[in-house]
Formats: sequence, structure tokens, C-alpha cells
Amino acid sequence: MITILFFGNLGDIFPTMEISLPPSVITIEDLTLWLSENMFISEKTLLKKGNRISINKNIITGNVSLKDGDEIAFMSPLSGG
Amino acid sequence: MGILRISNTEFSPESEHIAFRDEVKGAGAIVAFTGIVRGEKQDLSLTLSHYAGFTEKEIIKIVNKAEKRWSILNWRIIHRVGVMLPGEPIVFVATASIHRRASFEAADFLMDYLKSEAPFWKSEKSLGKKKWIEPRLQDLNDKKRWEE
Repeated sequence: MITILFFGNLGDIFPTMEISLPPSVITIEDLTLWLSENMFISEKTLLKKGNRISINKNIITGNVSLKDGDEIAFMSPLSGG
Repeated sequence: MGILRISNTEFSPESEHIAFRDEVKGAGAIVAFTGIVRGEKQDLSLTLSHYAGFTEKEIIKIVNKAEKRWSILNWRIIHRVGVMLPGEPIVFVATASIHRRASFEAADFLMDYLKSEAPFWKSEKSLGKKKWIEPRLQDLNDKKRWEE
């Protein structure tokens, strides 16, 4: 199983998901493609400029590999203070 | 070692300031900043959310950067989450050092980074309409000052 979380305005659009890692999903790019094809979550929305992605609470850049048990978070731009 | 607290209830900046002053030893300067919810409109509210565990970790990274740059004796960061009304404190940042400049600059740095690098998400509700708030260009430029 993997957990997919959405924060900020992405959290308004998409619910938290717990799914079995699909066989076609090896990397984070595979996951965004899978989400767009199977969950109608557009890659354009997920990868909008200023958004960030973390795996197991570590910010990632590039096409990182995924494994069973991962917690993936898609975040819209951060705004504290 | 400082104190970081993410609070889902209102806090008192005055009490935090006193508690901070009481625990600092050997400081010649304390700088304390409080951010409050702007506006007077009765129907306006601000909601902040965070990513538990990750938010704390990223804030500590910001503090570590500040500690590398300035000789800070102690620090305290209290950040609200949840629903807030105008006039309520959102964030409290305090720094202590032997001389004033380090405290001023470190507190300024911490706030600039909390604005756009700490994992919080902010939305405003007014007249029943919700709007997500992203960092302004000014916030991003403020942070850039420290990168030059």
C-alpha cells in the first residue's frame, strides 16, 4: 500500500488515498501519469509551478523511485506566518 | 535548544515573551516578533493547516540555517494552525543573543523563511467565500535578500 496526501488547494480537490502500488508505477512520474489516467487528477494541476512533492516527509526533485509503504505528498505553494 | 510549538489554540505572545526571557541565560538582547491576523471585518477568518511531522522538520532546518549564520543563544517559534479571527496572533518568533544585531537579523531571517518555506497552507474565508493565499512577490523577494 502507498498513501497519497494532498495539501493546500490540492487538498480541496483531491482526497487522501491509500492504494496498492500499481504494477505500472515504478517512479513518481509513473504515479502522476497513473493518477491522471485512473483518478482523473491532472498532471498539470499536480505539477503546477510552485507545488512541491515529498516522499516519506522528504522533499524530492526529479524522477524518484517509489516502493510499497511510501507516503507521498503533493503540496500547493507554502504560506506560513 | 529552542522551542518549536505548532498550536491549534490561541496563544499569548506576552506569556511566550516572558517565558522566553526567563529561560535565556547570558543574553544581552531579545528580539520578539508577533504576526497577527490582519483586518477588522467580523466575517473574515483565516485557516492554516500543516503536515504534522514534516512541518516541524522543515522549520528546524530553517532554524539550523539561522544558527549557522548568527550566534543565537536561544530561540522560540510558536505557530498557529486552525481557524483564526482578525487580531489573533498567528506566529511568534523570538531570538536571543549577546549583542542585538544577531537577534534582529536572525528573527527577520526566520520570519522570511517561515513565510514561504515552512509547510503551512493558508486560506481566507470572507462572506462565505474561501480563497487560498500564496506568498506575495514581496515575501519571495524578502527571502531572496538572505541568498545574496
